[in-house]
Amino acid sequence: MKLLAKTNRIYLAFSLAIYLFAGLAFYQVVRILIYNEVETRLKVEKRDFEAYLKQHKAWSDTTYFVENKIDVVPVGRQTRLSETFIDTLIQNRYDQELMPFRQLTFYVPIKGVMHRVSIRKSLIQSYQLIEVITVTMAACLGLLLLGTFWFQGKLSGRLWLPFYESLSRIKRFNLASSTPLQLDKPEINEFRELNEVLRKMGDKMQQDYRSLKEFTENASHEIQTPLALINAKVEQLIQSEKLTETQTRWIEEIYQASRRMARLNQGLLLLAKIDNQQFTDNQAVDLAALLAEKLSAMDEVLLHKRIAVEIRNLVPFTVQLPPALADSLVTNLVNNAIKHNQTEGRVELRSDGNILSLGNTGNALVSNPERLFERFKKEGSSPDSVGLGLAIIKEICDTYGLGVQYAESNGWHRFGISRKVNEA
Amino acid sequence: MKVLVVEDEKGLAESITDYMNKEGYLCETAGTFREADERIYLYQYDCVIVDLTLPDGDGFQLIQTLKKLLATTGVIIISARNALEDKIRGLEIGSDDYLTKPFHLSELNARVKSLIRRRNFGGHTEIRFREIRVNPSSRKVYVNGQLAVLSRKEYDLLLYFLSNIDVVLTKVSIAEHLWGDNIDSADSLDMVYSHIKNLRRKLLEKGGSDYVSSVYGIGYKFGEP
Repeated sequence: MKLLAKTNRIYLAFSLAIYLFAGLAFYQVVRILIYNEVETRLKVEKRDFEAYLKQHKAWSDTTYFVENKIDVVPVGRQTRLSETFIDTLIQNRYDQELMPFRQLTFYVPIKGVMHRVSIRKSLIQSYQLIEVITVTMAACLGLLLLGTFWFQGKLSGRLWLPFYESLSRIKRFNLASSTPLQLDKPEINEFRELNEVLRKMGDKMQQDYRSLKEFTENASHEIQTPLALINAKVEQLIQSEKLTETQTRWIEEIYQASRRMARLNQGLLLLAKIDNQQFTDNQAVDLAALLAEKLSAMDEVLLHKRIAVEIRNLVPFTVQLPPALADSLVTNLVNNAIKHNQTEGRVELRSDGNILSLGNTGNALVSNPERLFERFKKEGSSPDSVGLGLAIIKEICDTYGLGVQYAESNGWHRFGISRKVNEA
Repeated sequence: MKVLVVEDEKGLAESITDYMNKEGYLCETAGTFREADERIYLYQYDCVIVDLTLPDGDGFQLIQTLKKLLATTGVIIISARNALEDKIRGLEIGSDDYLTKPFHLSELNARVKSLIRRRNFGGHTEIRFREIRVNPSSRKVYVNGQLAVLSRKEYDLLLYFLSNIDVVLTKVSIAEHLWGDNIDSADSLDMVYSHIKNLRRKLLEKGGSDYVSSVYGIGYKFGEP
């Protein structure tokens, strides 16, 4: 719910309650006032009546000719009852209409006989008065209510304008872009402070994002130099002729570990660069031809492991990729197909223009195929493998609108690359 | 032959210098951009090995200055950045080679030698080691005057050995020299073995001595038996 709608709603509910309460209270106050007035006059008339009775010692209706003004009825019992005010309806003499009256009833002995005397006053004018006053008041209050409601809506709309403006700018704000978050300086202090804080936060976030992005890359770079140092020192060390065989084995292990770390680091660096979209020179690359080329460049290894290569229906599979990444993609695919192959196995390359598939024979997968593309997921515990090859393939495909699937059937492991539907 | 190593990592600079000195080069080091800048103004070098990221400057700038001063100096870039743009930019401003850290000293040495050979003699010089004679321009190898027919990889291997005489070369460095970084190591080490076996056989067939010796299984050494 929007802030303005919410405040409007609360405001409306609150003012309606006040409105109703005020209306009722007003009605009651007016009514009480009118009754007081009527009752005072009735009491005055009662005194008049009693004065008349004291003077004349008897009662005659002739004094009162106004209809329904007074009723004097003898009551048998000698009871003395207190005087009471009641509302009553009495039929009009002419048009049979019921009219509201206020009636004062009291008991008085006339010539020794107890009489019940009821003096009445018509309330019709008073009721009309109440009605008119109430309607006028209701109308005025209603207008006031609507007016303030409308005004309040307009006012808060205007007051909150800088807020909504800032909000829309924050929505458009892109963390990865180099443009900082730009916000106005509204004259309202709170909003100005808010914008100030937001701007600072935005700058800090951009800065952090940038340094985080740079961190992986810088860290990888910085690691390369000490690794180069280790390598160089190991190379110098093995030139020494006084080494025992055990020492040499240790050195060899240090050496291999540092090589592995270098490869790992290079893989991570590549992933970070793809993540940061640092490759922008997209070109049309025929992956099918590139794969075939890569396979023929690896003929020595293939020959060595006695792996046969079959190339079928090589329809060009052209995609938009930076050349460096295209090369990395095919290298990793081919290395993977060779590494997990068996001696005298086969590699099969196919392309029908829509799906490019590279398959290899090999042992059944031990690990979960769904997690195959995760970083550091290694099949088996080969020390040469750092477990980033497939992650790099996946990252490249994801970033450049390609899909990569893995399927296993009858001892064949196939990686299929396809264009994503929205890209085609 | 004078070589300048511009590298801010002291230990690495020291290793390179040691290695180069052993190879008979006169090797000097500069740890900062300013020091290197000073040296290239004062002295003439046959080859300069430059690290791109120096604490107080950019290696590219140094190369540009160097090329203005003396265009015949060979330049080899050593960098932790394995970026294609850097390699291209390096070549554009006149560097001759680009090595990504971490590299093998033997590889660096081979590249320096090949560079100096190209620079000084236009590649028209023969490499001799005892009865072995290699003509780099025609890529032909003679043993006792007889032509030994080597495959491309065997030739590369021999040249790598000849660039690093009496030095233990690790199997990994040989594999990476022959096939580049992207080769899977387990397979390549086997392949290195078979190439070395073939090379030895071919050299022996032509009456050469066996100069290749295996060192504790970590690598191979080419030199006086």
